[in-house]
Amino acid sequence: MSLRLKPSIPHRDFNWRHDLGLRMLVLYVAFVLPVIGMALYFERVAAQRLRADVENADLSLARAIAEETNLSLGSFLGAAQALGEEPAILHADMKRMQALFSVLAHSRPEVNLVYRLNSQGMMLYHYSPTPIKHSTIGVNFSFRDYFKRAKTTRLPFFSHGRISPTTGQPVVTAVMPLWNANGEFIGILGINIRLEALSLALQRIAQSHRPDEHFLIFVTDDVGKVIATSETSSAANSPPPDLLTAVGDLSPDLGRVLYSGTGHTVLTSLHGQAMLFTVASLPSVHWHVLVGRSASSAFTTAENFRRAIHLALLVVVGTGVLFWLALMWQILRPLEEMAAYSRSIGEEGPHPGEKRLAIQRLGYRPDQVGHLARTLLRMEADIAARMQELHTLLETSTAVASTLDSATVLRRILEQVERLLGTHKCAIIAWDEERQAFVVRASLGLSEQYAQRLVIARDEFNSLTLRAIRTGQPLQISDTESDPTATAIRPRARAEGYRAVLAVPLPTQHTPPAALVVYYPEPHTFTRREIDLLTSFANHAAMAIENAALFARSDARLQEQTRRLEALIQSMGDALLLEDHQGRVLYANRRMAALADLNADEMTGVEVGRILRRILAHAPDPTAAQAAVSRAIEEGMAEITLQQHGRLASWLMHVFSVTDAQGIPIGRGQIWKDITESREVDRMKASLISIVSHELRTPLAAIKGYASTLLADDVEWDPESQREFLQTISDETDRLSALVSDLLDLSRIEGGSLKVEREPIDLAEIIAEAAQNAHPSPGKYLEVHLPNDLPTVYADGRQIGVVIRNLIENAVKYGGEGSPVRVSVAVESDAVVVRVEDEGPGIPAEHVPYIFESFYRVESGLTQQASGAGLGLAICRGFVEAHGGKIWVEPRAKGACLAFSLPLLRPSNEESSP
Amino acid sequence: MHTLRDITVLVVDDAKSLREFVRRNLDARGYRVVTAVNGADALEQFHTHPIDLVILDLIMPQMDGIEVIRRLRAVSPVPIIVLSALGEESTKIQALNQGADDYLTKPFGVGELLARVQAVLRRAHQSPTQSEPTILRQGPIVLDRERHEVTVDGQPVELTPTEFSLLEYLMQNAGKVLPHRVILQHVWGPEYGREAEYLRVYIGRLRQKIEPDPNRPRYLRTVRGVGYAFEA
Repeated sequence: MSLRLKPSIPHRDFNWRHDLGLRMLVLYVAFVLPVIGMALYFERVAAQRLRADVENADLSLARAIAEETNLSLGSFLGAAQALGEEPAILHADMKRMQALFSVLAHSRPEVNLVYRLNSQGMMLYHYSPTPIKHSTIGVNFSFRDYFKRAKTTRLPFFSHGRISPTTGQPVVTAVMPLWNANGEFIGILGINIRLEALSLALQRIAQSHRPDEHFLIFVTDDVGKVIATSETSSAANSPPPDLLTAVGDLSPDLGRVLYSGTGHTVLTSLHGQAMLFTVASLPSVHWHVLVGRSASSAFTTAENFRRAIHLALLVVVGTGVLFWLALMWQILRPLEEMAAYSRSIGEEGPHPGEKRLAIQRLGYRPDQVGHLARTLLRMEADIAARMQELHTLLETSTAVASTLDSATVLRRILEQVERLLGTHKCAIIAWDEERQAFVVRASLGLSEQYAQRLVIARDEFNSLTLRAIRTGQPLQISDTESDPTATAIRPRARAEGYRAVLAVPLPTQHTPPAALVVYYPEPHTFTRREIDLLTSFANHAAMAIENAALFARSDARLQEQTRRLEALIQSMGDALLLEDHQGRVLYANRRMAALADLNADEMTGVEVGRILRRILAHAPDPTAAQAAVSRAIEEGMAEITLQQHGRLASWLMHVFSVTDAQGIPIGRGQIWKDITESREVDRMKASLISIVSHELRTPLAAIKGYASTLLADDVEWDPESQREFLQTISDETDRLSALVSDLLDLSRIEGGSLKVEREPIDLAEIIAEAAQNAHPSPGKYLEVHLPNDLPTVYADGRQIGVVIRNLIENAVKYGGEGSPVRVSVAVESDAVVVRVEDEGPGIPAEHVPYIFESFYRVESGLTQQASGAGLGLAICRGFVEAHGGKIWVEPRAKGACLAFSLPLLRPSNEESSP
Repeated sequence: MHTLRDITVLVVDDAKSLREFVRRNLDARGYRVVTAVNGADALEQFHTHPIDLVILDLIMPQMDGIEVIRRLRAVSPVPIIVLSALGEESTKIQALNQGADDYLTKPFGVGELLARVQAVLRRAHQSPTQSEPTILRQGPIVLDRERHEVTVDGQPVELTPTEFSLLEYLMQNAGKVLPHRVILQHVWGPEYGREAEYLRVYIGRLRQKIEPDPNRPRYLRTVRGVGYAFEA
């Protein structure tokens, strides 16, 4: 048979303050401890009192015995004294002595020998009432103590206890010293008293006092030898000490107590038995009476009393423990079991059957605990049922909400209603905006015919469904055959085969009003629980319907918005990139892809480091560019120079962290902005100031210089020089004013306020004049080719003059000292084209696209600025374009060729010249 | 004393009017004048004539004035006066750093030009007066006025006249703090006083030449906001 441990007490996870059992125990201990204390105290006090009583009783007995013994012994001493005065005895008259002795011996049965010693201790005569062992007459007894003592006293006394050599019996002797009239010691008279006889007397005395109790009484002589004992040798329980035994030999305690005097008690062990002895002295003879009795009998009362107290305490404690155990097993443990069980209710997993069985067993008890257990079980069953319902509801709701497709949602709702209520017919009836009526939106188990025909008008107040929707309360018809409100639907119900209907409104807010309708084939009263369950489900179902509807709406809107945003971001001029925490591209726009020289669709997921490497591959100074990127990542912004399409481009890289709506970082964004143009503008602004300053200061310096030269009075200038200086001042002033008008022209061109005053012009004349202005000595270096049939050109003469002069100046300046300058005019299609060529080094290809821009620097540093303001060609382009013409650089194997065209415009009211 | 005819001035400017203005004025005052129209021309002229002073425009085609100064300074301590339309301090300092002795911003009057020319020439041809010792010695630095020579630890150091004058003045007053204005008036001439940037550039250049560690000068000490001192 296997031994199974009982299920242990459920683990208690509360402290003692919350433990009822422990608190009861503490209460009990608090009550019982004083009781025990009082009982023990009382026991102690009472025991002392009882012992004192016993001792007093024993002492009085000892005293009484001492008194009586004293009396009896006194009579012997009296007899001895009386005899000692007899002359016959004094004179040792044998015959008379015999008579006297026999009288005495026969009158006192205790006496077994009366004798007379002479002054030398020699036995003169002895008399015994009983036959003697052997005669000791003539024997010298002078060695005896009593003989020696007798010589020192005239009063009778008792000798120590001893064995009489004459009779062979233990005796004490009453000794009377004998003195004659002369005061001479003449011997002694001795009366031997049998100790056995004394013991008998003692027994009598002992029996006369407290005969009910057994006492052990000793009489000891002055040297502590037992000379009488109350015990007879027949007494079985404690063998009497032999006569003449020293009490010190019996028990050292006894020997000691003899000398302590009357009233002292001692508890000692005698023959292995605990005895209580009490001492009383016989002062006249220095004898002692020892009254003893067994300690057990002496303290019986005290012992009994103590036992009673102990028993009472034991009962109290035992009862308490029993009560506590009963409390524990009958109340606390069941309570704990129930508490543990109630805690486990609702937790995952089934309850162990054993636990449940224990609670069920408790439930059989008729008391309150049983009641509680039964209630707990009922509650558990209730909770389980509710949980099951909730679980089902949750499952069904989850199933319903797991899709956002409206049709699927409705179908699932009906499937789950079927599952919840076990019905086979159900429908969702909702408001149809088009038909302006309530129609079946979805159904399960209903015939198609019924579902299609069921149309409830807005004002059909009898309709159960409509009423349910209106009131917002679930409504039912338990039996369509008996319910008076169901007369209208009765035919339909019969046809479709249902008897009971339940309509539950769906609490919709963003979708048309609707209700869930359940049909039962048999009459059925829907219980509160069924209705509640379906109502709860209807709430979830309504939510699912609305979610689906809202999702359908928002999805379309979201897609539209995303598309717009995408278009916006993709069309941005700036390159944009979003990277995740792992440094991979989440999103990049087309511009970024182009910058990295990748396809837009292969950007996502690419490592950002790789993208940056691809971009920086275009940097003219990769180290500086890499440093700039690091700076941008650290500081948020940095400028990076890249070589793109044959020229340097400045990009501003902006790095920022991207967070979602809650502010949680989702990655990092980069925006690359092409700032080449704005940098160019900045640079131009800066160079404009220095160029204009230089260009203005140079003529100014000449003017100031010559003016101050003329003013200086330390040198006398000849008139020719003076005139020359003044001429220079005048020329430089012209140059200054030309420059000012150039600047004005340029500002008009750039500001868009340039006016072209067209008039018929003579190109040949303008070219000649411009050549004169541009080159002081045209001579052999300037060639001008004009066609013979040059048509009239309508143009602003001043502006075209400026253009040609600038081009010639340019050719002179860049063509070099010896290079000839060739100006040619040709008519090509509807335009006249003017070309200015030189044979200098030509214009480097990389500058060609930009030389017509304002302040464009072909050379860098201070040298460029010598070539003029850089305004010339810009002004040319401005003027030419204002005329509707074009200006360009024509490629040449050697030298440079700048050309411009002017459209041949003919005023409409004027005939062309022949 | 030299006569002015002994002094040849090279005038370099691409603008004819300005070049002529300078040439005519100097010529009228007795200087011998050679002109050049660009940097290359200037260098050629410099090597063909014994030039005592160069007046140089900064902004010229092909080779700018700064480059010309650099090339001249590579071979000669000839005094150089820069003419420029650019009044920015950075350009001024750039020119002085390269070794220009003076800087005139256009436009300027003839009096100003002549004063600068004389001042620069004075510095270049200063000869010691009788009462002053011929040789100044401060630690390892030895300045010989007569031979116009400076040695540091016995090694000869090439100094321009202005640099020489500046060092001479500072060594003469070794241990004293000399305010900017006083130094400028004494070394450059009485018409100077506000050109603190000249001093900054020249002290910098002197430090490069005579200090063991130019970044931590031992002799030429800057007294911030006041001036400079030569530490004895």
